[in-house]
Amino acid sequence: MRSIGRREASVLAAIAALALVLAAAAPGFFARDNLGDLFLANVPVLIAALGMTLVILTGHIDISVGSVFAICAVASGLLAKAGVPMPLVALGACAIGGLLGALNGAFVAYLRIPSIVVTLATMVALRDALRWTTGGAWVQELPAGFQWLGTTQSVYPVLVAGLVIILQVAVSWGLRNLAAGRAVYATGSSVDAARLAGVRTSLVTFSVFVAAGAFTGLAAVVNSVRFSQIPSNTGIGLELNVIAAVVVGGTLITGGRGTPAGTLLGVVLLGMIGPALTFMGVSPYWERAIQGGIILTAVAVDAVRPHVMRVRSYA
Amino acid sequence: MPDEGRRSRLSRVSVPLSRNEGILLIALVAQIALFSLIAKNFATVGSFFEISRLSVELGLLAVALTPIIITGGIDLSVGAMMGLSAVLFGLAWRDWGLPIPAAAMVSLLAGGIGGGLNAVLVARLGIPPLIVTLGTLSLFRGIAEGITHGATNYTGFPPAFLQLGQGYLWGVIPAQLPVFAVVFAAYAVLLHRSVIGRALYAIGFGAAGARFAGIPVVRRLGLVYLLSGLVSSLAGIIYVAHLGQARSDAGGGYELDAITAVVLGGTSVFGGRGTLGGTLLGLFALAVLRNGLRLAALPSELAGVLTGALLLATIAMDRWRGAGRPLARVHVDEESDVKNSQVAVLCAAVIAGSLIVASTNVWLVRSILPAIPSADGQAAGRVPAGGGRPVIAMMPKAKGDPYFVSCRVGAEEAAKELGAELIWDGPTGLDAARQNEVIENWITRQVDVIAVAVENRAGISTVLRKARERGIKVLTWDADAEPDARDFFVNQATSEGIANTLTDEASRLLGGTGEFAIITGALSAANQNEWIAFIKKRVAEAHPGLTLATIRPSDDDRDRAFSETQTILRVNPGVRLVMAISAPAVPGAAEAVRQAGRKDVHVIGLSLPNINKPYVHAGWVQTVVLWNTGDLGYLTVHAGVQLLRGSLSPGDDEIEAGRLGRLQIRENQIILGPPLKFTTANIDQFDF
Amino acid sequence: MPAAAPLLLEATGIAKSFAGVQALKGVSFDLHAGEVHAIVGENGAGKSTLIKILTGAERPDTGSITIAGQPVDHMDPATSRALGIAVVYQQPSLFPHLTIAENIAMALERGAIWRRVDWRRRNSQAAGLLARIGSPLDPERPVDTLSMPEQQIVEIAKAIGAEARVVIMDEPTASLTDREVENLYRVIALLRSHSVGVIYISHRLEEIFAVSDRITVLRDGHTVGTRAVGDVDRGELIRLMVGRELSTVFPKAAVKPGEPALEVRNLSNEAAGLRDVSLMVARGEILGLAGLVGSGRTQLAETVFGLTPADGGEILVGGRPLRATSPRDAIRAGIAYVPEDRRQHGVVLDMSVAANTSLASLGAVSRRGIIDRAAERGKAQEYVDRLRIKTSSVLAEVGTLSGGNQQKVALARWLSTNPSLIILDEPTQGVDVGSKAEIHGLMQMLAERGLGILMISSDLPEILGMSDRIAVMHKGTIRGVLTRAEATQPAIMSLALDPDSHH
Repeated sequence: MRSIGRREASVLAAIAALALVLAAAAPGFFARDNLGDLFLANVPVLIAALGMTLVILTGHIDISVGSVFAICAVASGLLAKAGVPMPLVALGACAIGGLLGALNGAFVAYLRIPSIVVTLATMVALRDALRWTTGGAWVQELPAGFQWLGTTQSVYPVLVAGLVIILQVAVSWGLRNLAAGRAVYATGSSVDAARLAGVRTSLVTFSVFVAAGAFTGLAAVVNSVRFSQIPSNTGIGLELNVIAAVVVGGTLITGGRGTPAGTLLGVVLLGMIGPALTFMGVSPYWERAIQGGIILTAVAVDAVRPHVMRVRSYA
Repeated sequence: MPDEGRRSRLSRVSVPLSRNEGILLIALVAQIALFSLIAKNFATVGSFFEISRLSVELGLLAVALTPIIITGGIDLSVGAMMGLSAVLFGLAWRDWGLPIPAAAMVSLLAGGIGGGLNAVLVARLGIPPLIVTLGTLSLFRGIAEGITHGATNYTGFPPAFLQLGQGYLWGVIPAQLPVFAVVFAAYAVLLHRSVIGRALYAIGFGAAGARFAGIPVVRRLGLVYLLSGLVSSLAGIIYVAHLGQARSDAGGGYELDAITAVVLGGTSVFGGRGTLGGTLLGLFALAVLRNGLRLAALPSELAGVLTGALLLATIAMDRWRGAGRPLARVHVDEESDVKNSQVAVLCAAVIAGSLIVASTNVWLVRSILPAIPSADGQAAGRVPAGGGRPVIAMMPKAKGDPYFVSCRVGAEEAAKELGAELIWDGPTGLDAARQNEVIENWITRQVDVIAVAVENRAGISTVLRKARERGIKVLTWDADAEPDARDFFVNQATSEGIANTLTDEASRLLGGTGEFAIITGALSAANQNEWIAFIKKRVAEAHPGLTLATIRPSDDDRDRAFSETQTILRVNPGVRLVMAISAPAVPGAAEAVRQAGRKDVHVIGLSLPNINKPYVHAGWVQTVVLWNTGDLGYLTVHAGVQLLRGSLSPGDDEIEAGRLGRLQIRENQIILGPPLKFTTANIDQFDF
Repeated sequence: MPAAAPLLLEATGIAKSFAGVQALKGVSFDLHAGEVHAIVGENGAGKSTLIKILTGAERPDTGSITIAGQPVDHMDPATSRALGIAVVYQQPSLFPHLTIAENIAMALERGAIWRRVDWRRRNSQAAGLLARIGSPLDPERPVDTLSMPEQQIVEIAKAIGAEARVVIMDEPTASLTDREVENLYRVIALLRSHSVGVIYISHRLEEIFAVSDRITVLRDGHTVGTRAVGDVDRGELIRLMVGRELSTVFPKAAVKPGEPALEVRNLSNEAAGLRDVSLMVARGEILGLAGLVGSGRTQLAETVFGLTPADGGEILVGGRPLRATSPRDAIRAGIAYVPEDRRQHGVVLDMSVAANTSLASLGAVSRRGIIDRAAERGKAQEYVDRLRIKTSSVLAEVGTLSGGNQQKVALARWLSTNPSLIILDEPTQGVDVGSKAEIHGLMQMLAERGLGILMISSDLPEILGMSDRIAVMHKGTIRGVLTRAEATQPAIMSLALDPDSHH
């Protein structure tokens, strides 16, 4: 593995600084239970962000994740109520997510419509379609085995930790060491060069959207099973959290550069800020402003270097 | 090139119409034709101007965004800036005591500073605009929340100022329309006629090339972001005048609508291509779609689905018509791994999808149509007695909220019982501006009764008064407007009653002493803030042993309530009771307490029985306070129909409300009765 | 020798049209093992289309391709690669964010998409290939840190690594220095000795005569003829290409130099690697600026033009000091700069000829910031007529014009600023022979009108033919200035290469 990049380092520094302040001001933050809760709350964001990393690496974006998340959450509940065993429920949600991702992917990869337009359209359309069908009703009376995926509250975090570690390592390793992973970077770095090198760029683009959808489906299941009922309006604004985590983690918004490790750090930093402010007794009314400020500072610090280079960089 | 001839001819007569805009124009004409057929009073001058009034704020944002997108950038912070300047305007006027023009200057100054921040970060530091404005979106919205503490809602602006947003010029033209026209014209000159506009296009095609041509790229880019901040804050001021209120959540979600309008109008997100004329068309298409659906009494959720389909279809059609210029320079090479057949198949899929949606539309219209003629007959004489079915238009605060969904059940029951036609529509999320839009549409549609669960008292009263002037009976329910803006308020329970019930219950469970925490909805939710005020009052007056440890927001999101409760339990270990006053927050808080295994912590709150049943039975939630929501809907429709038929008139002190029997009326407030307390003992008897 | 060698590739009767425009109308071409076969022709003659077809990027409408005796009916990039065809493009097509090693590997490795990547092998393979062409580049360097010629080296390493049987070189020397060109010739010789067939495309006829065995001339989508290199001379070749006689001599006439148009005194710019640069360009004079790529010529131009502001020394324009911190300042002072990278910097491809022409002088066609479109078009039409720009209309997008005409639009843009000094950076790079002569003629005309011209060029015949004096740069500073009488290729090269030589 290569040494970590510049942005990853600055995010790591920001996390360390925040941790230091917390250790002095509110050591209770580091209690095992609190960290456990934070972990579980941010796992869905991380899983969705891993998928988003793939999309952004190819130079695209997917702002429909929040809507896909809600649809997959409701779908997983309905499947479970229909008596489908939990592992199949999880797979089913991934499949539905993948299918919705395929819809996005087809428009982006084969019709060549800019991804921000496609996913803006699907975000609005899917959200309203879900509202229309559910009429806002929650999915209730889930079978007993739904919560904690059929395990218990103490076993589930271990299970999820395992799952996340496998996903994180698999995505990192795959992106770095599989030809398919390199094709993702190649497509994001230069579509034309990739095509000349025999990479099927449309297929790569299509696939990352499918993967992002499937990851979002998985995130929805992992989130839903923490509770015993499923609201139908969940995931509003998720896209902003997820995209912020990915770009704060150093993935280039134009594609070609970035790592899942950076995304992990981005999720950790953004996931920490809110609760950290609460622990430090900051008024909830100012939390959002401070969060915005921290994100801006993180990217601005990174950007302060002679920008002659950037303007002159060739295409 | 055959294309050249056409283009040059077009530009000679100065009609900058690209193919994409042509397609959109056709779609727009088709929409207007369709809605003229199926929607009541759609194709009238009045309707046109009302539609334009509702689109001014959005239009300003879209106009400001157009040159930014043409440079290949984006500004997601426009909606948040609208909220921030609305709040600053209110703050400067009310708390600093500045006159209106000075307050407006403060607000515009803030817009300039905010826009300047974007400008510095994007243009000078070269950070991708998507990231920058994602950050400033949080920053601006956060500062607005910080200033108002979410709760403050600046109202009571002088009528002369409100004229700007609510009044008319020459009787028909909405007062804010000229403002929009001026900004639009200025932008049109800037973008399409001026040296600066030419520079913006050059930057959009390639910043490096523009720099080599001596264009001050940093300054030009900076300018459009700066202007965007200014125009957004102007939109914020108009929003205040339009709704008569300044709240931190003003303009929420507007950024996406504005981007949709711009892109729909044919501006390429890759930069370089697009026109303001296109943006105007895009705005029209969005506005016509939304308002047309409402006038046709179709569910507003369709708007999102159709907007998405329209967006994809216009661009896909443009691509499909082939010879079209590629949207992305990246794909300039003719080499292509997409065959025409594939394009055709995908397009066919899109069109088929739209057709399915459209035909469901027609089907829906058909199912509603029988009602419309009868309503027509009614409208002529406006005599409710005898013939036709009265049309009752009822609006919740948010359509998807389970609380309001359960109200609807009772409303429909009453409508059936009384032979009335019920239109149930409203915003999909808490959104005061959209409530006004829907009512404007209903007035145009000439319904018989309007019943509104008011999100924002000051903002909605003007339009309700207008409805009354047009002979429409007006009720409020769930939350009230100004007393003179409605005939009756169907009051489920007073805020004080709710607050007292909750506080007394908390005191009972805690044995008179102890710490408790409140989980509220959004920090800016008016209802909840009123309850909190009464809760604090009750604690001070009747339960001095209770301490309110903290108030946390949940944004009406179950998952957020869950996380916030977890944090409260750690940060405030002394808390023994969590009081959640937003429906989804109660199960969220209960789940957090359950997972923490904190048997010593009580959860009570204001919520619906169904979503809390498991927690009440398992002993994690002690008490859920609420009135019978179905009855609330039932009573509202009853009151509406009786008002129309004359069996209820202002000043009465009693109403005979079907299965609810006789109910009291005090000062034109129909009282549903005391709130219900759901506990293990009775919760299973309720299903909503 | 080549004729006896086996036939590697044969294309017959290839025709191709795009959107109704016939780009190729029946081209035939063959290539033997161990042969260098040059393709020449003016821009638009069909060279690029032919290459696209051979590499499978485009499919021909009619015609057949036979590779090593096997007819190929379906050609796509992957097939082409599998058949042993490799391309070195004029504009390197690399992945900027990836390392050299990975860029090479992407071109060479094949196999299942789920296969594992062997990083160690990739790096050693790249190191080996770079060593073979004598390049000291570190295989783990990301490509976006490389200069243009260094990227070209990577492209060549890719082709060699592919052990291709057919290597297509499309303007490989466009941005190479002479030494690098020599290096390339060595590589070509190496390839040839391994029985590889090379298709060599270049506008520089000297190179064509230096490396090729046979030459095929394309004109307007037809094969005009194929000649063995010994059977044709320069004049005939040019006649075949343009279909008419064309003077091969440069139109340079002596001009009496006037007042100094530009004086640079002890200029330095640390960020751009310039130190202590002094030179003078007189009105009416063409000063050639020679030197290796990377010697700081373009950096000097960009510093004078205000793109990368200087941090020491003086710039005087028409005798008045200039502190240029942006191109605007330089333009106001009367400097014009036609940059090297025409497509990215010289013109805006998506804008019309009129908009491109007025872009640097919008003030002249506008009143109080509002553009007078009629005046703008009129002015553009003037330049279209004066510079003989071939375009259907002043409203046509520049991207639809040929390279030479694009370059003329770039010139028009700067002439309309009424400069007193014009800097031309590689003015005829990638420009076909006909347009090249026209541009040289224009330069002479401008000089006669009293403009000072600073011409940067890697094309030594051009430098020698067009300059009144020649300044030679080395490592960020001027090594010497030669008069027209003193200047010879060896004299220039010795200054450009030898750090200790003095004039």
